[in-house]
Parts: sequence; structure tokens; C-alpha cells
Amino acid sequence: MLQRGSKTRVIAGVSIVAAGALALAACSSSDDNTTDGSSSSTAGKSGSFTYLSFAENTAIKGTLESLSSDACKDENASSPLKVTTQPQASFDQQIQLLAGQGALPSIFPAGNSPDVAKSLDKAGNLVQIGDELKALGKQDDIIPAAKSTIEKLYDGKDYVLPTEFNVEGFWYNKEIFTKVGLEAPTTWDDLVKDADALKAKGIQPFAADGKDGWPLSRLVGNYIYRSLGADALQAVADGTAKLTDSGYVEAAQKVADLGKAGYFGKSVGSIDYTTAMNQFLTGKAAMYYMGSWALSNFNDPKQNVIGADNIGFVPFPAVTGGKGSADELAANVGVPLAMAKSNFDDGAKAWLGCIADNYGAAALNTGGVITGFKVNDDATDVPALTKSVQDTIANTSNTVLWFEALFSPKATTTSQTNAALLATGQLSPSDYMSKIQADLG
Amino acid sequence: MKSVLGDRRAIFLLLAPALTVYSLIILIPVFWSLGYTVFEGNAINGFSFVGLDNIKQLFSDPDVHQALWFTVRFALVLTAVQVALGYLLALLYVFVLRKASNLIRTLVFFPVVLPTVAVSLLFQQLFEYAPRNGPVNSILNVFGIPSVDWFGTSTSSFWVLILMETWRSMGFYAVLLYAGLVDIPEEVLESSRLDGASGLRLVRHIVIPLSMPVLLSSIIFSINGTLKIFDSVIALTNGGPGTSTTPLTVLMFQTSFGYGEYGYGSAIALLLTMLCLIVTIFIFRSSRRDLTKA
Amino acid sequence: MTVIQHPSELRPAVKASSVSGRRRSARRPMRTIGNVVLAALLLLIVLVPLVWLVMGSFKTQSEFLNNPAFALPDSWTNFSNYSAAITEGHLGTYVRNSILTVFPALFLTILFGVAAGFALEVMVWKGRGTVLIAFLAGIMVPGQMILLPLFTIYFKLHLTGTLLPLIITYTAIGLPLTVFMMATFFRSVPREIFEAATLDGATIVRQFFSIGLPMVRNAIFTVALVQFFFLWNDLLIALTFTSSDDLRTIQVGLLNFQGQFGQIEYGPTLAAICLNVFGTLVIYLFLNKRVMKGLTAGSVKG
Repeated sequence: MLQRGSKTRVIAGVSIVAAGALALAACSSSDDNTTDGSSSSTAGKSGSFTYLSFAENTAIKGTLESLSSDACKDENASSPLKVTTQPQASFDQQIQLLAGQGALPSIFPAGNSPDVAKSLDKAGNLVQIGDELKALGKQDDIIPAAKSTIEKLYDGKDYVLPTEFNVEGFWYNKEIFTKVGLEAPTTWDDLVKDADALKAKGIQPFAADGKDGWPLSRLVGNYIYRSLGADALQAVADGTAKLTDSGYVEAAQKVADLGKAGYFGKSVGSIDYTTAMNQFLTGKAAMYYMGSWALSNFNDPKQNVIGADNIGFVPFPAVTGGKGSADELAANVGVPLAMAKSNFDDGAKAWLGCIADNYGAAALNTGGVITGFKVNDDATDVPALTKSVQDTIANTSNTVLWFEALFSPKATTTSQTNAALLATGQLSPSDYMSKIQADLG
Repeated sequence: MKSVLGDRRAIFLLLAPALTVYSLIILIPVFWSLGYTVFEGNAINGFSFVGLDNIKQLFSDPDVHQALWFTVRFALVLTAVQVALGYLLALLYVFVLRKASNLIRTLVFFPVVLPTVAVSLLFQQLFEYAPRNGPVNSILNVFGIPSVDWFGTSTSSFWVLILMETWRSMGFYAVLLYAGLVDIPEEVLESSRLDGASGLRLVRHIVIPLSMPVLLSSIIFSINGTLKIFDSVIALTNGGPGTSTTPLTVLMFQTSFGYGEYGYGSAIALLLTMLCLIVTIFIFRSSRRDLTKA
Repeated sequence: MTVIQHPSELRPAVKASSVSGRRRSARRPMRTIGNVVLAALLLLIVLVPLVWLVMGSFKTQSEFLNNPAFALPDSWTNFSNYSAAITEGHLGTYVRNSILTVFPALFLTILFGVAAGFALEVMVWKGRGTVLIAFLAGIMVPGQMILLPLFTIYFKLHLTGTLLPLIITYTAIGLPLTVFMMATFFRSVPREIFEAATLDGATIVRQFFSIGLPMVRNAIFTVALVQFFFLWNDLLIALTFTSSDDLRTIQVGLLNFQGQFGQIEYGPTLAAICLNVFGTLVIYLFLNKRVMKGLTAGSVKG
């Protein structure tokens, strides 16, 4: 009886293997018959220019696609653009998988955190874009402020393209300020005084997206840069300083104080991004810390009830007696793009050159997005608010990063998910910092 | 007959497709995943063998403790509420509504059909506190109760989650348990009624024992489902505030996919599977006892 | 343990209690009013969200952000959300993909699952208990665990640009529960029928198709209903295995209107959801009729 039982099991086992082999055979032969024409994520064998996009991000895709039919038509003819998508949450793993198979796409977002790109670069997978652009004579297509930010993010190296260049600061409602008799704050103490005056008049001082957390943790990071200097967070990344040091905890304390005084309005932790934006744009809050990617919302009359000419911008204020200055604009390069060495053929090189020359203008035209590329097309019609931001950027040479820029993904999540708890007093500043510090190691 | 029912070829023919697909797509990846448990690292940086370190870390990691506690608490409470409510509804269908119950049953089942995105959006709006009161807070205010910041504390978030999932699935369990109740022979009910049992007594001493098999199946089904809750939590609270409503599934997903720590993520998955296994075996054992009694 | 061949066998049971019930309720008219109130409350709790959904699909973004949740839409003929959902939202493509992945997977799950349930419960052989437990273990495994290995497998098989990964994964996911439930239902099927058929000369496989399958027809509809919605509403698996817009299913498509910062365009999202829900409502009502019959005809016993 036992023998008969094992025979069945053997048959079952063999059939499984057979089925597997059959599947492999069938599938490799039908390799060319993909049912819907979309390319798989394998390397562009026919020299196509493959772009793996965040599924949730349509801006870069849109700009690349418009380039492919317009300014980069020739490059597209010899190396057609092929776009595939991957949800942001599993993007890093997808990239790691592809890197392991030697199948990275031609161009792709450099991951959810700088760590991913850094490890790819260590393994020799990435094109040194800065050097390539210099070889093509196009290094001036990248604006200096963007270059500075990139080098700060990637340990002094330059292997990504800045598809956006966003500066962050406080946007404020000019009308409300005039009504209450306030001026744009230049120091932290001014900021707190202004907030106090607004609250006294029954106006919510700040609109903030506590649900996502990062608009609040940005404030902590910026205070650190202003009080401890532009190298303060690099020191933490290098291990020469700790977030639990008193200077750093003080920054968290200052943000917690804002929350304690009620300057963020009711239950900031349940306010999401759209709601916070709406609060500011309908005049319910006087100040809004945000990046310049919000310009597309500011310039949309349907969303912007208070009017674009009513919005002023002031960089994060200085801290009296601090080592940093308000000139050091907080900036980021959006979703930076990296390129795979394994796919860097002539077609890709040509694309790189074309992107460098034209991405700036294309992004501005298709989405009103300010990028780290020079805008080589003077004929673009730019809204006044955007122009003023562009001017501010042009006058900036030194930028600072954001709080989580150099953190590991785990520490980034910890920082962002607990930011609202810090602001509502449910988590003490020292606990907040020690939680993050624990995840940094 | 034995040779017919024991026909090897027939068994193979009938079983092979399911077993093959299941082994290739589920079993092998599961073991593959479990294999990661003794390694550390990811595809780019490579894997290094760490033995039982990941499993040891499970015991000392406060995040795992918090997630485990939340998962168990949530599963127990939700199962109790879901099944109890479903049972009450089923009793309603059988004893109170009777003929009319068909339409009601169908309509109450409806929330099961809705996608998670829809349900979570709905509940976010219903329980809104800032910047403006949602319907629930408005109704509370009518009764003089001050508005509650539902998503601001972990306790209230917990209960909103429970409420959302219950609303979603009570129709399902009602229908499932209804099947079991309807099976109870009418003669048994009639004779007990003649003996003087009615209402609550009837339910407690006759109906519940006789519908125990269905009840137990539902509980097993529910526990396994609620221990692995994922979509709903992400959509409604994203594990917040902070990490207070993060179940093990979300923690595992973040660890593997977000932080690239496959090994540790697989260890967390192993913990969850063990939990499901223990709970299921426990229920099975006690059910076998009940069935032999009945 | 009752063997119910025909749903009509149950009707006497229901009738008997309703006769006595009518006598009782005639004596207590309050009880009927109580029933009505109870039923009405129940319906309210369940259907009010549907109302919110429909109303919301006619609102503009600013109405969502600035007006209370249950305010009536400014315009009941504001179809811009629906057109946005269909055109920008590529709803047509997504519906096609959802149909192309869910229905074949459902068919295969049922076919393989019922056959396996039959083999495990009706057929007699050593080791069937172990195999059943192996299937049961599948219910306990968290789905996220298998995502990455599966992705690697599909990638190595060059399947990632097609809908096949979804179909295959959906089929496999549905198997544990289907096999388990089918085995349960087959337990209550009398063996004598198969004996008789064997005497008539039919092979067991033939018997499966011509006797076994029809016998559990109602159970099949029950399982089909449950699995259908589980697969149709699945988000995580579809999200992981759809690498381009052409391949997305409806659930993934609903995320289209959510930006990378977490912004949500409520109007088009709700419009897309409405279209999705009303579409599946038809399927639901159809299957539900069979299911209600099925659940009252086949007992789900431990």
C-alpha cells in the first residue's frame, strides 16, 4: 500500500516539473507575441529608449512623450521612446531586480531615496551623466543651483538629471498680511510673532498636511539648517552628530511649540495634502510652507480663489544667532532620473543631449514645471508668480536639502509618520528624534 | 467500488491541475520567501547568511510587538463583532423578517461588493473632524456631544476601522450564517416552542448549538481574513496615527518593499503565518470536540 | 446532516414557521412595525453610502473640499467627472483588462478547484488528508509574501508584459478556498449515487462531470460569487503585476486620479467607482439569485 501511495506522489511530482518545463518552453517561444504591444521591462534590444516610470507620476512621462514627438523627433526615430510603469511602493525592488538581471531600462527615476541610486552607482550600473554632458558640451544646460543640490544628495557625484527644481519656503496671503498689518517674516521670531497676531485675529496661521507628515518634518529640517548650519544633516549622515544632540532636538521643540500654540489649526494630523492646499488657496489659512511644484495649483484659477497676484513668497526665515542664513534656499530636484550604463548606446546618448537642451522648455510648456534644466526657449509665456520664483532661483547658488534627504528609507518613514504626533504634542521632541536616530543606524 | 473511488489515473486527472498551479504559484514562492528568513539584504547589495538573527530580532523589535498586539486585538474584536452581528442579522432574517428577508438580505450584502478605495473614501468623509465636521460629528453635536477627532488618536482610529470593516462584511456573514440557520429542522424548533422555550431561551439552547458548525466555519474564515487585513488599513489610516494602527501585513510590506530588507520582512511574514496556523488549529480542535458532542 | 437535492425541500420549513408567525404577529401589530423600523434602519445604514457615492460623482473638486459631505451637488447634470473617468481614466481599457483577467481565472479556479475537491473528498486514497491541509495552509499565507518571488518567476519566463501573470496568480489565489469549500460540500453528497453510476458503466471521471459537478452547482455559484468580488476588487496583486497602462485593471485605474503627493481628484474617482459598482451590481444580482438558492441548499458545515 505504501508503495502505491508513493507512486502517486512521484507521478504528481514529475507532472509538476513537466508542467513547469512546458510552461518555460511555451513562453520562451511566444516571447515575441506579447498580446498588447507594450514592451516588457527587459533591456531595449532594438535600441529603443526605455523609460520606467512611477505609475503615479505622469509629469515626466508627459514631458518625455511630448519631446519624442516634437523637439526630439529625430532621436526618437532612431531610438523610439518606450514607457512602462511601476507603482512607487514597489519601485525600488523592481529596480533592484532589474539591476540584478542586467536589465535596467535606459532611463528611470533614481529610486524612492538616494540610497538606491548610490548602491546602483557603487555596483557600476549608472552613467556618469555630469561627465557625459561635459563631453557633449552641454553642461550649462543644468542650472548651478540644481547641480549643487544633486551633489549634496549624492555624495558629491553627479549622475542624475533634475526633472524638477523646486524651492521651498513660506507662501503667504498678501491681503491677510496687509489687513493684520504684518510683513513677511525674515527671522524665526518674526514668524512666531506673525502667527500669534494672526491667531489673535481668529485667522489660522499655517495650513499644513499633517497626514503625510513631511510638510511638518520639513520645518524641523529647515530650522536645523538655519540654526546649526548647512552641513548639520550631513554630519548626522556621517555619524559625527546625532539627532538626539540638543541643537537638533531644539528644532523639533520649536515645531512642537507651534503646534502647542494651535498655529496649525484643528487636528493637523488629519489634514491631507489636498485639504491643506485648499485651505491656503481659499484664504482660510494665512501661510503655507510648500515647494514650488505647487505653482501649478497656484496658477490654476479654479483652485486658487485668493488670486495668484495675492500670493507672496519668503524663504524659510533665519534663526537669530544661527550658523545658517536665509539665502540658503531649501531645494530639491523632484524625481531625478538616472541612466543605465548597460543601455547607454548611441541612441541613448543622442536622447541625453536632446533632453538636456529641451527638457526645461518642454516641462514649462506642458505642465508649468520649473526644472533644473536651463530654459532654452525664450518664447515661453510664463505666469508672473512662476517668473518671480524663477528669478529667485536664478539668484541662488547655495541650497540646502530637506530633513529626510540623507536618511535611510526606514528613518524617512519614521520621521514622516510621526511628524503629526510631534506637532500635536502626542510625541515629545526628544522621543521623536530618538526614534529617527534609532532607525538611522 | 473502492477501486473506482481509488482509481489512480482519475485522481491524478482531477487533482493535478489544481495541485500544480497551487504548488508553482503559491507553495514554491512561500518556501522561497521563507528561505529569505535566514538571509539579510536585497537584490542589489546581495544576500548574506545570518542564521536565526532575523527571527531573534522579532522578539526584541518594538515595532513588531506593536504590530503584533494590534493585529491580534483587531482580529479578535473584528471577528467577534462581524460574526456576532452577522449572526444577529441571520436570526433576524430567519425569525423576524422571514419572507421579506430575501430583498433585505440582498441589499445588506451590497457593501461587500464595493471596492476598498470607495469604502475608505466614504468613511474618511463620514468621520471627518478637520477642517470641517463630517456627518458623524454633526450628528453627535445634535445630541450635545462634542466632535471627536476620529483619526487623531489610535483608539478612535481602531474603532473606525472596526466599524468600516463590519459595515462592509456583516451582510456576507449574515448570508453565510443564514444558510446554517435555515438548515435547522423546523420540527426541532416547533417541539421546543411547545415545550415552552421561546425567544432568547430558544436561541441560546437550541439554535446556537445546532448552528455551531456554520458558526465555527465562519469564525475560522473571519479570523484568517482579519489577521491578514491590508488594503483597508492602508486606505483608511495608512497605519496611523504614527504606527499605532499598523498590522503585521503592512509592517511586512513596508519592511520588504519599502526598506529592502527581504530577510526581516519574510521573518515577519513567518510570524503572521504561524499566528494564523495556531489560531486555526485551536479553533479546529475545539470544534471537533463540539461536533462530537453534538 | 441533511442531503438536500432540491431547494424546494426547504420551502415547507419556511412555510411552517411563517404560519405560526402570522398567528403571532396578528396578535401583536407592534411587532410588525418594529420589524419595519428595523429593516428600514438596516437599509439606511447600508444604502446611504451609495447615495453619497452617486451624489459625489456629480460634484466638482471645490464642492468636495468646501461643502459638507452630504450636501447636494450643485448640478445633477455635471457629467464632466464621468467623461473624465472614461477618457482620461481610460476606463474602457481597464474594464476590458479586468474582464480578461478575472473571468478566465474564475473559470479555471472553479474547474480545477471543484475537480480537486472531488478528488480529495469523494475519491479514496492515502495522503488525501495531507493534501487537503496543504491547500488549507494557502488560506493562512499572507498574499504579500509571494509577490516578489512570483515577480521574479514571471520575469524569468518573460511574461511581464502580458496579462498572464494576473490570470495565473488569480487562479492560484482562489484555489485554496475553492478546494476547501468544495470538499466541504462534497462531504454531504451520498456515495450511493456514484455506486449506481459505476454499475451503469460510467467511469469516475465521467461521473464527476455528469453527476458530481451538477450536484454542487449551487455551491459553485456561491464560491464563484465570493471569489469574483475578491478578484475583481483586488488591488495589491494587480498593482504589482501591471507594468504599463495597457494592462491595468479597474482597481488600479481608480488610483489614476491620485497624485504622487496624495492629492485626490474626488469627482472622477467617484465617477469611476460608480461605473464600476453599477456594472458589477448587475453581475452581483444575477449571481446572488443562484447563491441564495445555493446557500440554502448546501450546508457549510465545519
